[in-house]
Amino acid sequence: MQYYKTARGNGRYIGQTRSYTIYSDSIDSPVKVEKKPADIIPGELVFNYGPSTGGMIESVRIALSTPGEMIRSVAVDPTYKLRTIKLSGLSLKDAFILVERINGYHSSSYQAAFLKAVEDALLTEQNTGLDEELILQMELERIRSHLNVLERLCEPAGFGVPYHQIAQMREEVTRVISSIFGHRYFFGVHNTPKPSVRIPSGIVTRTKDIETRFALLFESLQDSKIFVNRLQGNGKIEKVWLVGPAARAAGYKYDARIDSPSLDYGRYGFEPYIEDGKDAFARFLVRGNEIFSSFAIVNQIISNGRPDQANLMNIHGTGIGAARVESPQGDLFCYLSINNGSVERIEFCSPSVSNIIAFEQSMQGNIFTDFHFNWESFGIWISEAGVEIE
Amino acid sequence: MRTTIWFLKGLRNGKKTEKFPKAHPEEPPLWPSKLAGNGTPECPTNAIEQGKWNAGKCISCRLCLPDYKPTGDQSSFRVSGKFPGILSRSFYLYPVDSGTCGACNTELLSILAPQFDASRLNIFFTNTPRHADALVLMGVYTEGMDQVISRAFEAMPDPKLIIALGACAISGGIIGKRPHLSKDSVIEIAGCPPSPYTILEALLRAREGKR
Ligand code: SF4
Ligand code: SF4
Repeated sequence: MQYYKTARGNGRYIGQTRSYTIYSDSIDSPVKVEKKPADIIPGELVFNYGPSTGGMIESVRIALSTPGEMIRSVAVDPTYKLRTIKLSGLSLKDAFILVERINGYHSSSYQAAFLKAVEDALLTEQNTGLDEELILQMELERIRSHLNVLERLCEPAGFGVPYHQIAQMREEVTRVISSIFGHRYFFGVHNTPKPSVRIPSGIVTRTKDIETRFALLFESLQDSKIFVNRLQGNGKIEKVWLVGPAARAAGYKYDARIDSPSLDYGRYGFEPYIEDGKDAFARFLVRGNEIFSSFAIVNQIISNGRPDQANLMNIHGTGIGAARVESPQGDLFCYLSINNGSVERIEFCSPSVSNIIAFEQSMQGNIFTDFHFNWESFGIWISEAGVEIE
Repeated sequence: MRTTIWFLKGLRNGKKTEKFPKAHPEEPPLWPSKLAGNGTPECPTNAIEQGKWNAGKCISCRLCLPDYKPTGDQSSFRVSGKFPGILSRSFYLYPVDSGTCGACNTELLSILAPQFDASRLNIFFTNTPRHADALVLMGVYTEGMDQVISRAFEAMPDPKLIIALGACAISGGIIGKRPHLSKDSVIEIAGCPPSPYTILEALLRAREGKR
């Protein structure tokens, strides 16, 4: 491990893997976190949402306890669709195919965390061309992911026009991704015998056009009292363990793009956008503004022509590595032990685990009608929270 | 002064819906699309056996390049049979996530994006199985969702269909086993994940089958 050291908690708390507690600057022994079962108060109503319900993208069970209108406690169970993904013993190339599919909507983040952990384990020199390619993937992924959250926020508000306009932009970004990387979700981009990334002509004009239209829409949403009222004061939370947009919406300058050495964002002049409202509206503002900073990075990279890419076809070696990248929902950490080109042990710490706890705590004291807005504002993905990696 | 009248804003945005399926897809992805080639190269899901490519097993991993190449053809689906009385006017879908990576879920929802606008073709989503014509199964088998899926199917009114969407639901893909109810699917929409073009075309073909 070149970047990470095993030491008592140095830096900010990121989360847990199966065997470690992860901080921004060190890896520590695990802390046993006991999740207390929700206490039941006589006469209280418990509403069970899911695990399969039209309002949710994925299968998840959410139990809301209430004595009346006010929510007293919330318990999220992401294990209904629990998948077991076995990676140990596989070659890096074969493991990579599965890693991409832990959270398919954020496959680039998983690709980047894995590839940078491989680089760290095998002590290969940081390849700035590859970094640029991974950053391009991740920033396009972030734009699409944030658009998705904003689109989902418009849905419970009954805002049909902005909902569809954002859906249109999200599809356009997906087509930009497809035209550069060949696949709408980046799958297989590092498994090709020859470089498969291409920068089609006119792509900068296209991304700039999407950005311009998004700016107008984002401004209009902030002008809409009905929309803003649903988000302001909803789901307030301020904890030092928050990650991603939830942390940045609570005034914390936490972002792996500036405090992890895994990917070098320095040359793009990137600075995190911070809000201090701590609520769903602040998370909305952070995501909206991050779309602009991501477009700025994307436009710089694609203006420079085709970046390098990794090729996992023939990587051999032995070592232990770790990497941390900023996925759209927060820090994503990967620990990887490689033995002669095969995965010996791999562990991930995913941001949705932290965001689920943040959602549960932020719902307390809110009312029912706040529920969907608040849930969507965290951008939680069950696929990465309800998964066992072996 | 900026107007916040969304209706006017919508009109100003103009029409964005493609002519598909009457015209060819405007921007079909290469991956996934039908593959064409020769030989029996390395394939992690055995989607290529004895020189034959099986769409339902393919996960678009690209390991078979350059022996097999994508054609851009989006018609990777199988519709078995005709469905009288089910799809005559509107087609209500109830999606169920058995164990997905999330990408099949978002591609299915993408058919509502203005570029595709499934509602113009009378294809809708419903929040309850009681109003559904078809159960759209996505993802691999998981213990926790097995009973949930069976109960949802039981709650649907007759006549009812099962659609398997994505490699995981059709064959287990690279992640695991397919969900139990997949064996009764009459529409298989291949891809990892299937593109919205493939999803829409499969649903429409199922309807044509009836006509
Ligand atoms: S793309 Fe991958 S899964 Fe599909 S046929 Fe080729 S090797 Fe097999
Ligand atoms: S078929 Fe592919 S995209 Fe769909 S859930 Fe399975 S791994 Fe994800």
